[in-house]
Amino acid sequence: MDELREITVVQASAILISTIIGVGVLPLPLFAVRGGETSAPVVTLGAIVLAAIGLFILTILGIRHPQKTIITYGEDIVGKWIGKLCSMIVIIFFVILSALAAREFGEVVVSAVLRETPLEITVIVMLVIAGLSVRYNVNTFAYIHNFYVPAILAPILIIVVFSLKNANPIYLRPIFESNFKLMFTGMLTIAALFQGSFIVTMVIPFMKEPRKAIKASFWGIFISGGFYLLIVIATVAVFGTEEIKQIFWPTLELARTTALPGNILQRLDVIFLAVWVTAVFTTLFSSYYFTIYSIKQMAKLKDHRMLSFFILPFVFFLAMLPQNILQLYDVIQIAGRAGLLITIGYPAILLVIDLFRSRRGKKNVVQES
Amino acid sequence: MWYKNPNLRLVSIFFLLFPFLSGCWDAQEIEQRATVLAIGIDQASKKEENNQSEGGITHINKNSSEPKEDLIKVTAQIAVPGRIPLGPTQGQSSHNSVLIVQVVGHTIQDAMLNLQQQVAYEIFLGHLRIIVLNEKVAKKGTQRFNDFLRRNPEIRRTASLAVSKEPAAEYMKLIPELQRIPSLYLADMVDNLSALGRFPPSFIGLFWTILSSKGQDPYLPYLTIKDKKSIQLSGLAYFKGDRMAGKTLPLEIGFFMAVRGIGGGGYSAFIKVPGKEEFVLVKAISRKTKVNVNLIGGKPHVDIKVRYESEIEEKTSPTQYINNSSIVRKIESEASKEVTKSIKKLIAKTQRAESDIFGFGERVRAEYPNYWSEKIKTKERWKEVYKDLTYDVHVDSRIHRVGMKAK
Repeated sequence: MDELREITVVQASAILISTIIGVGVLPLPLFAVRGGETSAPVVTLGAIVLAAIGLFILTILGIRHPQKTIITYGEDIVGKWIGKLCSMIVIIFFVILSALAAREFGEVVVSAVLRETPLEITVIVMLVIAGLSVRYNVNTFAYIHNFYVPAILAPILIIVVFSLKNANPIYLRPIFESNFKLMFTGMLTIAALFQGSFIVTMVIPFMKEPRKAIKASFWGIFISGGFYLLIVIATVAVFGTEEIKQIFWPTLELARTTALPGNILQRLDVIFLAVWVTAVFTTLFSSYYFTIYSIKQMAKLKDHRMLSFFILPFVFFLAMLPQNILQLYDVIQIAGRAGLLITIGYPAILLVIDLFRSRRGKKNVVQES
Repeated sequence: MWYKNPNLRLVSIFFLLFPFLSGCWDAQEIEQRATVLAIGIDQASKKEENNQSEGGITHINKNSSEPKEDLIKVTAQIAVPGRIPLGPTQGQSSHNSVLIVQVVGHTIQDAMLNLQQQVAYEIFLGHLRIIVLNEKVAKKGTQRFNDFLRRNPEIRRTASLAVSKEPAAEYMKLIPELQRIPSLYLADMVDNLSALGRFPPSFIGLFWTILSSKGQDPYLPYLTIKDKKSIQLSGLAYFKGDRMAGKTLPLEIGFFMAVRGIGGGGYSAFIKVPGKEEFVLVKAISRKTKVNVNLIGGKPHVDIKVRYESEIEEKTSPTQYINNSSIVRKIESEASKEVTKSIKKLIAKTQRAESDIFGFGERVRAEYPNYWSEKIKTKERWKEVYKDLTYDVHVDSRIHRVGMKAK
């Protein structure tokens, strides 16, 4: 594992940002509004905090075990067999996550852009691109992410800024709604959109200075969370909560309603979709890379390359399972919320056990001396 | 090895590039597309249904599979390929740059499918700029059109929607002299007038947003045809929910914009000079609006403060002098009084129609969420409350400019 330690803090944050910003930006305001009505920004903020907690748990674990990923230190902490079982669950979950991202991508493309292209084609193309890119090492992985981050962030910012022309701040008030149960569910759903940040566990062993991983995590969640928050605020301010409930992808509608001044472009969805394809690619790339790499580590293989096309058909099969878009979103929301147990709960348990053990270990050392 | 041979390599690369030459497999030529530029929606008569032999396209059995919705008549303007001039060209106005097709159907998409049956090329709605609704259709409710328009990804949210006095079909057939493409003139009419401050921003996405939200009702431009060839913006159609409830006068659009808080002024009004039988034309340049909502005795009360910045554009008689600031001040106070009266009248009018186009309800919802969730909650309930809403209007008119004339 210590062949290459080249990833810098900037690259690590870039990986996190472009992994987190993915297919989820499209339905994000819908999830937020369903959860919290006008307090959608608050719900989003809560979700960011929740996701940040999960990410920091993982980062601390990573720093404590700078040579290993969750797959390997998991085995150290809870024992070989339980560790293997948990790793297995994590891997299966990420296979599902990749499949759902690919399917959601395909679904958007089929209903909004390329209406005559079969869904299977768009999904396969996306998966094959991810499958091809996965064959390189982690440094290339970092370069690709780093390269795309500005291309993802800048257009989103442009769309948000220009859309504010149509905004009506009254739609954002009152800031607090009182239905806490719904708000909490919404928060979990949105926090699930941040699950890509799990990739940090795979990145830390390749960082030049693993100690600085905490900095990378902070910037990663800060920037991507900031963008999510901006998107929610802008869409709610432009459409109002009731209109958002009527549309699947409010963010896409926001781009469609927004024009550049002077009618240079009368609708920005063209730019947005181009960017969004990149964003989906980087997300899928990360989750698929994580899957492949983790299988490699668990099975103690030397190389992960040959796995890339071997796993692909399974992902494709899973992606094709949901019958239609409504069912797909049911699955995404349920899987996402359940996944929080895996992406936040499991690391939290690991950290508690780890801290407990090392404390006992220290005591033993003191007693012995 | 064979691949070390540079010639063979070249040949194999050549063959590998072959698949990329195929282009888009589902490509469509622009000429092979029926690009719909504008749609007019009217009520269809029974006679038209029989004439057009509607039915058999989306439904066969008259009793079991025919929707109960009233039939509508859709008139579409389709761009004729090659006839739409790009850039300035001399010569006669091309009367045939668009093709006008009329179909009937139960819903928009039903009509579109019937239309497709008549047109050889695939119908493309991505360039749809304006939808004109006849008053009668608008009065029966617009909600049934919105579903299709929201669902279809080709429709632009920035397309315009307008209500017409005459049958919408006439707007489609009208040939304006100022623009070569009739529908573009129609669309520019709506877009540019809001740029000139003669109408609040209005496009279909905004219409939907307002329609969806609980505490306000939508509005649309109301068009009429003058002298059979020019189109006039003759007011603002206000809605109660999705049904058109009435229309205002053109000048009232200005007052509406004042209350709604849309800054750019554009309307001018004759103001009587106090103490004389003369009038001056005062133009609103900009406005600043403050709307406060309070709960007084458990009922919402609206307090509207508008500050006008205006200028004098014209006076009617040579014997009247505008040469000192005291006369200007008098005109200012007279203008304030007049505007206050007119705004109150406009609000009362919409209250009678239960149509809260000003969005007071949204303010109540935003500022008194507890009151809203306990007492109001639904759109219908707010309409009842709006009917008896109390309000105060304060107008402060300032005249800063009188033009280049000293007297």
